[in-house]
Amino acid sequence: MTLDALSHIAQDFASPPAPRTFTATILLVEDELVTRTSMAVRLKRLGHRVLEAGNGQEGLDLARRDRPDLIIVDWMMPEMDGPTFCEALRRDPLLKSSQVLLMTSHDQPAQIAEGLARGADDFLSKSASKQEVTARVLAGLRTSRLVRQLEATGDELESSMLLLKKKQAETEADLQTAANFVRSLLPPQGSPVQGIALAWEYQPSLTLGGDLFGVMAIDADHLGLYILDASGHGVAAALRSASLMTFLRVENMLQLLGSYDPEKVMFEANRRFPLSAEGEYFTLWVGQLHLPTRSLSYVSAGHPGALLSSAQSTSQWLTRPSSPLGFDRTARFASDRISLKPADRLFLLSDGIYEVPSPGGELWGRKHFQDVIDAGRQMSLSRTIASCFSEARRWQQAHQFPDDAAVVGLELIDGPEGEPRG
Amino acid sequence: MQIKERKVPKGMVLDVVGDLTYANRSVFKAAVEKVKQAGCRHLIVNLEQVRFVDSAGLGLLVLVSQGFKLQQAHVSMLKPQSYVREILSLANIPKMIPIYESEEDALTARAA
Repeated sequence: MTLDALSHIAQDFASPPAPRTFTATILLVEDELVTRTSMAVRLKRLGHRVLEAGNGQEGLDLARRDRPDLIIVDWMMPEMDGPTFCEALRRDPLLKSSQVLLMTSHDQPAQIAEGLARGADDFLSKSASKQEVTARVLAGLRTSRLVRQLEATGDELESSMLLLKKKQAETEADLQTAANFVRSLLPPQGSPVQGIALAWEYQPSLTLGGDLFGVMAIDADHLGLYILDASGHGVAAALRSASLMTFLRVENMLQLLGSYDPEKVMFEANRRFPLSAEGEYFTLWVGQLHLPTRSLSYVSAGHPGALLSSAQSTSQWLTRPSSPLGFDRTARFASDRISLKPADRLFLLSDGIYEVPSPGGELWGRKHFQDVIDAGRQMSLSRTIASCFSEARRWQQAHQFPDDAAVVGLELIDGPEGEPRG
Repeated sequence: MQIKERKVPKGMVLDVVGDLTYANRSVFKAAVEKVKQAGCRHLIVNLEQVRFVDSAGLGLLVLVSQGFKLQQAHVSMLKPQSYVREILSLANIPKMIPIYESEEDALTARAA
């Protein structure tokens, strides 16, 4: 034992204990017993718990086991020196944020630079005064506390994030289930009745859409059609739409009104689905096709309407200005009637298909939609509908639509199978 | 969307710039509520700088009109652009909220 070390120990035992602020755990890694004992006594007198290791490996093991608040490590040690110990510490995910004081007999700038570069946070000269040791240890512990607090906050944030992600995944799964259910209510593509082909494409802006449609046989001679659009987006709009869709079921209308007469259907829907206190409402287009005569009667309530595409002439819109549902509870909705011809195509659509802005803000518009329908006369029904979507996407230069977009196409099949009856 | 309010004789004008849509509904509602609280008897919604009104925007306009009517007050619309005019017409909105081509016309018609 050197005289210097003995004098330090004597001085430490002679001094009164320092005021205890908080008890930290300090790991002391030093191969030289006397120096280690001397420093340990000093630290204990400062009120800290001290762990002692005689070499680097033992130090790493203790650090992993006890996660000390501060590590003081000697530079010069056999096998694993101080800087190598620091490097091992920084590589360990559990220990990499530890605060390390590197003890050295030298304080050359090059040596300090090397120590810092290899992972030390600060230096402690072996000849440092008691005051300096205290000050450096307290500074190291202050930093350690801040780092621990940051780590705890980070951990809390991470677990909150995980919880949020889990909740979001559950909500998404619920929404997807609801969307699948709503989609199952939509008419199957193909041939709803003899002589009619049906194809459609539907792209909700969110998981659940507020635009819904129906094509269904009312009886042997009548085909009912509708498309509805709930104002707004999201789950609330989708739920309101599902409610109107349920109301518009054939069985319900026949029970309530005795028929699927579009005027009566619209009058009743208008009475039962008022404008909400939040300004939410529906637009609706309802049609009834008399199959033997191909006579279509239809009514619109503020809906952009349907487009009739004929081989003999340019397409025409089947709508007229009218109030959406619920704007005026006493409103009467007058129907229009038109005779369809073999090979005619009728498209029901929501405004979301053509109200798509270009990157410059210009809307695609009804005219462009109509042009695609007219140009698609030689294509199959489903390809024509697909063209509407691809052209709208090309215009907005984005795949996702800002609003729900739906196009439903019906074609009166020309030919022996499609010959009208009656 | 940006909305500026102006006082005019016997009314207030909301100069709306941007799209009147679902995404902007809170801004519009707040602006209307403010003029309503100020005791406005005739609200003129200037749509000259509005490029697009979606279904939610239409619903708001009707709701505002109904709210003013309950207080024996009026709402008018000013100079909608052609596409907005088409959207409004398709939903019969001008029957509930008249469209005018100038503030003077709106004020004179309502004063009559």
